[in-house]
Amino acid sequence: MNFELSDEQKMIQQSVERFVQDNYDLNTRISLSSDDLGYSDDYWKSMAELGWLGLPFDESDGGFGGNQIDVLVIMEQFGKGLVLEPYLASIVMGGGALKKGGTESLKKEILPGLVEGTKQLSFAYAEQQSRFDLEDVITSARKEGDNFILNGQKSMVQNAETADHIVVVARTSGGQIDENGITLFLIDAKSDGLSMDHFPTVDGLRASEIILENVSVNVDRVIGNVDEGFEILQSVANDAILALSAEALGAMEVLYKDTVEYTQQREQFDHPMSEFQVLQHRMVDMFMEYEQCKSMLYRATMESVQDPKSAQRTIHGLKHLIGKSGLFVGENAVQLHGGMGVTEELRVGHFFKRLLVIDAMFGNADHHLQKFTTY
Amino acid sequence: MDIELSSEDLTFIKEVRAFFEENKIKKDEDYFTWRNNWFEKAKKKGGWDVPKWPAKFGGPGWTPTQHYIWEQETTKATIPFDIPFGLGMLAPILMGYGNEEQQERFLPPIRERTVNWCQGYSEPGAGSDLANLKTKAVLSEDGTYYTVNGSKMWTTLAHVADWIFCLTRTDDSGIKQKGITFLLFPMKQEGIEVKPIITLGGAHTVNTVHFTDVKVPVENRIGEEGKGWTYAKGLLEHERTGLAGLSRSLFELENLKDLARTVTRGNSNLMNDSGYKAKIAELEIDLMATEYTELRSLASASAGAELGPESSILKLKGTEIKQRIQKLTVEASGIYSPAWGEKSIGFPFAKGGTTGYLNSRYFTIYGGASEVQKDVIAKKVLGLTKRSSK
Repeated sequence: MNFELSDEQKMIQQSVERFVQDNYDLNTRISLSSDDLGYSDDYWKSMAELGWLGLPFDESDGGFGGNQIDVLVIMEQFGKGLVLEPYLASIVMGGGALKKGGTESLKKEILPGLVEGTKQLSFAYAEQQSRFDLEDVITSARKEGDNFILNGQKSMVQNAETADHIVVVARTSGGQIDENGITLFLIDAKSDGLSMDHFPTVDGLRASEIILENVSVNVDRVIGNVDEGFEILQSVANDAILALSAEALGAMEVLYKDTVEYTQQREQFDHPMSEFQVLQHRMVDMFMEYEQCKSMLYRATMESVQDPKSAQRTIHGLKHLIGKSGLFVGENAVQLHGGMGVTEELRVGHFFKRLLVIDAMFGNADHHLQKFTTY
Repeated sequence: MDIELSSEDLTFIKEVRAFFEENKIKKDEDYFTWRNNWFEKAKKKGGWDVPKWPAKFGGPGWTPTQHYIWEQETTKATIPFDIPFGLGMLAPILMGYGNEEQQERFLPPIRERTVNWCQGYSEPGAGSDLANLKTKAVLSEDGTYYTVNGSKMWTTLAHVADWIFCLTRTDDSGIKQKGITFLLFPMKQEGIEVKPIITLGGAHTVNTVHFTDVKVPVENRIGEEGKGWTYAKGLLEHERTGLAGLSRSLFELENLKDLARTVTRGNSNLMNDSGYKAKIAELEIDLMATEYTELRSLASASAGAELGPESSILKLKGTEIKQRIQKLTVEASGIYSPAWGEKSIGFPFAKGGTTGYLNSRYFTIYGGASEVQKDVIAKKVLGLTKRSSK
């Protein structure tokens, strides 16, 4: 048992850390976020050149054969700058689905472009009624000859606006909340019958609502087996939770450290605020929540690498803790920054908003607490 | 970064389990005979009778992973009860700061479990502010002995202890951390009076101890005069890590779930009550995270870093978890939680649960109250200074 990163991982960590330091100050982020694209295409190309986009894919698919620990290393640093580029949606979620269930020909067609940064993916799983339940799928896929015809609606889809292909989760058989009967499809974003409504999210990113009206897709675009897609969906969700949690951890580190620094500089009642014991103890609580989240993230990630199935319960525990502690750290960072904390001028508010969004993705703290109790 | 156990570790688990299985207490076996034999055999395994001692002093010299495995396995097995004061608290001080003669004199009886120690730290006026202690030790004119006068408080198991390790004041002219001297002396002698303090759960474990002109030879002093605080501080960190008791909590949490299943709730049982179940789950998640905080701290300690402020996080989180388990036990007892006295009324765990809960309140007070631990983290980790005090 050891908690040390490998030399390669340490190198990646340093290079991502430097990238974020050099390129992601608050003003740059705000201006990129309000650009047409919503992120920087130059940054995306750099990430491809540095090999980060290919990291989690097999060498035979043009990747570097990394695992969830490598993604953790990248995402934790991304969290320190609230990076806007669609690493999670395109690489971890969309690419992850192909890696786990794609046919050789689908992987050959998509993954090299994904790794080079010329293609992007999106992953459409949630629906209006589904709340956080992955298995709650109404969008239907009906077989007609060599094609499936998809009808329905998909919600809060990340990176749909710039994706070339969208992985769509649809129901091929069974009832609304059955795990069996779910199938994943790789759909061209420009397909006939597919319409999208794009909108910003509170954290400065983008999402889309998607309507599918008789969208036709060939059977060879099915990812995994027909009716047996739930396992891939769950596995992608788990990887996404690990990645989001690593990002949240980076954000929490910034928040508690910024708070310590701010209270040391600001004076009230003739003393730096950091000298007041009531504030010191609050910051210690923030620090401890951060450390406990780090421990749980390491645990869930290492267990996932060793045996993904037996890690499921720990992943529920992790997302619960990240949701709860993330908001605790975020709310208290804002509180201790006082009036300035509720303005857009300081970065703490931006980090807080991202943690709010992370809690709402792939199940919030309560959802995962309930899931945890079912084991 | 990986959690895979090496083949050596897997062999070690088997070896530990086999040892526990072979040396279980037999029906009708006398406890103390069994206990002595157990330690004897553990010693022959290569220091298993003193798992935490370094190899240099006869311990097994395990890796952090092996220590972790041992902790996990001991909670599932029946092993003899140990009192931590000599083995876990004084022994590291003797090894670190005692002279060779003291090590040869005091360590073997600690190891043989023939001498019981107690810890003379807190006083009526020195609790969380331990350095404020006033028990006076005055060196004789010929420099051969100290005369100790004063009182200690909250002294755990002083009524059964043979010896005490004691912080005394030899100089009060400077700052209070200076002028503290670390002395060892027998409890069964004239001038020492032990009075019980009964705690909320009705138990007698702690005491007040009064010293009147107790003579202590200088060769019973650890290290230099006036440097006792430095020695004690290192020990406090050991104590705090030990107080987290995570493996034990894991075991007790599983127990709690089992007994909650025996409590009816409508047509089902308490473990299917959504509110109760959620509290259990939250507790377990915190425990899972804290386990890894402990592992991370063990790993950094074995990589050469000092055992440091992480031990404060562990003490804080670990004792909180222990208290929450006790509280949920009282909740499980429901209408029977108030039953008191000699008889067992209602659920078999009800009275023990209430007693355990009341006694658990001191977990976040002893060994440095939680608020003091937060001060330590604020200062040492976050680099925060307090407003100047008098």
